[in-house]
Formats: sequence, C-alpha cells, structure tokens
Amino acid sequence: MTNQQGRPLHDFNVELEVYSGPYEWLLALLLNEEIEIFEVPLREIVGLYLDSRSMERENYLERDTDFAGSAAALILLKSRMLSPVFEAEDHQDEETELSPGQLVEKLTLYLKVKRGAEKLRECFVENSGMYPSAHTLPPRPGKLRVESKKVSLAVRRAFSRLVEPSVSHLGPITVSIQDLVAVIQDSLSRGPLSYEELVRDMDRLHSALAFAAAVSLSSRGEVSLSQPEPFGPLTLLPEK
Amino acid sequence: MSESPSATALVEAILLVSERPVSLEGLASAADLSRAEVRDALGKLGEKYSRERSGIVLRNVAGGYQLATNRACAGAVERFRKEARPAPLSGAAYEVLSCVLYLGPMTRGAISAARGVNSDAVVRSLIERDLLAEVGTDRESPGSPALLDVTEGFFIAAGTNSRDDFPPLETLVKPEELDRVRERVEQSRRPSPVPEEES
Repeated sequence: MTNQQGRPLHDFNVELEVYSGPYEWLLALLLNEEIEIFEVPLREIVGLYLDSRSMERENYLERDTDFAGSAAALILLKSRMLSPVFEAEDHQDEETELSPGQLVEKLTLYLKVKRGAEKLRECFVENSGMYPSAHTLPPRPGKLRVESKKVSLAVRRAFSRLVEPSVSHLGPITVSIQDLVAVIQDSLSRGPLSYEELVRDMDRLHSALAFAAAVSLSSRGEVSLSQPEPFGPLTLLPEK
Repeated sequence: MSESPSATALVEAILLVSERPVSLEGLASAADLSRAEVRDALGKLGEKYSRERSGIVLRNVAGGYQLATNRACAGAVERFRKEARPAPLSGAAYEVLSCVLYLGPMTRGAISAARGVNSDAVVRSLIERDLLAEVGTDRESPGSPALLDVTEGFFIAAGTNSRDDFPPLETLVKPEELDRVRERVEQSRRPSPVPEEES
C-alpha cells in the first residue's frame, strides 16, 4: 500500500473530456506522452481545483503549493509545445561536418584567440590592484528602457523547444565510461600514460569515451592531465 | 598657492575628482588650457606620480588619463577599504575577451562558434563586471542578436589605450604551431583502425 499522507493531491480527481480520474495519474500520463497536452484544458483543471479547495483541510497550504507547482509546469509544457521550434544561433552549423580545411581554419583561429587570452591575462595581472582616485558615483535614476524586440526574443527563447542534436552518426555504444576508467586506472599503476597510446587501437567513439573517462578521473582528483600546448600530446599522470 | 593655480595644479585637481580616465581634450576644456599646456602639465604630473616614488600613479588608459593608487600599495588600500580584490577571471573569460577584442564586435553565437563551446554564461559574467557591453544589433542575422564589444572598463583593466595597443592576432601564433595543427587534423582524418569484432 502506498503512503498517501505524503502526497497532498492524492484525493484530487478531475473530470475532463479526455480523461477522468486522479489528477496525479493525469500528470503521469502527460509526462509519458500517453495523453497529448494540447487536448488538456488547463483552465478547466484550475477551475476544478478551486471548486474542490477548502481551507478547512489540515494540509491546504501544502495542497495549494503542490497544485500551483504542477499547474505552472503544465502551462510551461503546453506553451513550449505550442511555440514554434526555435533554432539557437549556435546550432546552425552542427549538421554539416567540417572539411579538413575548415577544421584547420577553425582550430587555427581558436589557437590565436587562446594566445590572445594568455596575453590578456598578463595585462590584467600587471594592472590589477590600481584603484582610481575618485569614488564611484551612484547611477543617476533614469527611466527603464524596454526594447520590445529584445523582450519578444527572450520570450521566444524561454518558451521554445530547442532542436535535439542528431546522434544518427553514432554507432551502438558497447563500452561504458566505468570500463574505460578501470582500463586507465590499471595502466596508470605502471606510471604516466599517454592519451595517444591509450586510444591507439580505439575508434572515434571509444576515444571520445576514453577522454570522458580521463576527465572524470581528473575531476575526482585521481589523475592530473598535462598538455603543455593546445592540441599537443596529452599525458595522464597518477595523482600522488 | 597663488590666486591663479598653475596648469599642472588644474589638471591634477580634475584628475583627482574623476573616476574615469579624462581625455586630453576633456582636460583642456575643463581647465581652460591649450592642448600643449595640458601635455606639459601631464608630463610634470607623470614625474611627480611615478611608480617608483609615489603611492599614486598617473595612468594613460582607455584614451585618457587617470590618477590611481600604485599597485605596490594595493594590499594596504584593500585592508583600509575592507574589500577584497575582484576575483581573477577564468581562462574561459579571457578567451571570450580575446575573441571580442580581436574579432568583435560580435554576437554571443559567434563567440560560442569561435570557441567551440557555449559561452553565454561567461559573457553574462563579463557584462556584470563591465568588461563587455552590448553595443548594437546584428540586423543581418535572424532575431537581430546583440553585438558585444569590449568596454572602457576593459581597457582600464588591461592598462591599455585602445585595440592598437595589443599585438596583431596574426603574430600571436608561430608558423610551426600552425603546421602542427594542420598535421594533427590530417592525422585525425586518416581512417581509424577497425575494432575487432566481439566474439
């Protein structure tokens, strides 16, 4: 038997054209996409809840909170489904694979930007701790300027679904990160390990997973990663 | 001091009360001096407020002049003001700044594309720190995204006057490094060994 005391909405039932029964089950069916959110009149549900609401109940505040939370989630879900698919700027080129020339161009630009960042860091460090002679004046009170274009773009972003990235190019995954973590840990027991050595006989997917495993070990503090220059050889060193 | 203060005194007073760097023209206009007189006054102030001798230094940053505390005295100033120095920027933040400095003004999407990772959160923190600002919109792109550029605060923090003070992007990477990148891309494009079939 389930503990119904911890679920304030367990006794709230709804009678709709598309569904009749406990509200909690309706939520489950919606989440499992067994009922289309388009077909569910949210306004009616709110009306039914308000009719059933009573401040005489012991847990009415908890009940209201739970209902407000779930109703807000349903509104967000429905509005997202009704909004057109919005393609984020940085998803535009994902579908097309880069040619070697384009990849070199992209990496070269990134390398330059990275070097620029190193120079900037030096400049910032050299010029830190210099405080201006005058105090900062508080900003003058002014009118808030609302740009309708920016507001509409923000609303579109908030209520839109992002395009799911395609994973059709990935084959079936036959190895887990945990397996590769074990392989790395075993190899590291014999000393520093070159990433290139590690992935020598692996395909691209396994190499990517091996990299994820190395990063995972690094974040757990079990391994340190050494790469003296961008895109240069990567070495895994056991943490002492 | 005599009734009519010297050009140096006038320039010094204006710089003392200005939080932002003041341009040569701004100083000349406020002090009612010629540009030559202001230049001369700045020369004298530069000697007076040298890093070696004074707790205050004269900086030539963001296209203007500014009086600021000497970096060597930062610890004492921070203790007195009971405030810590702003946390240093992350590597990602410097990369975003570098992108905008060399390739900007540019949109958030273009920054992310250049770095290969979403940079929106980093951009947000740099805007909060007054190192980046929205300066317009890219009307050619769908949705007219905002264009970002580095701010006056950026040039002050970097101790520079303008973009011209930074080494050109092309000189930042050695040709042999570029060759190595090409080589590695070619290597990665070679067909990878076929994994053994599982029995």
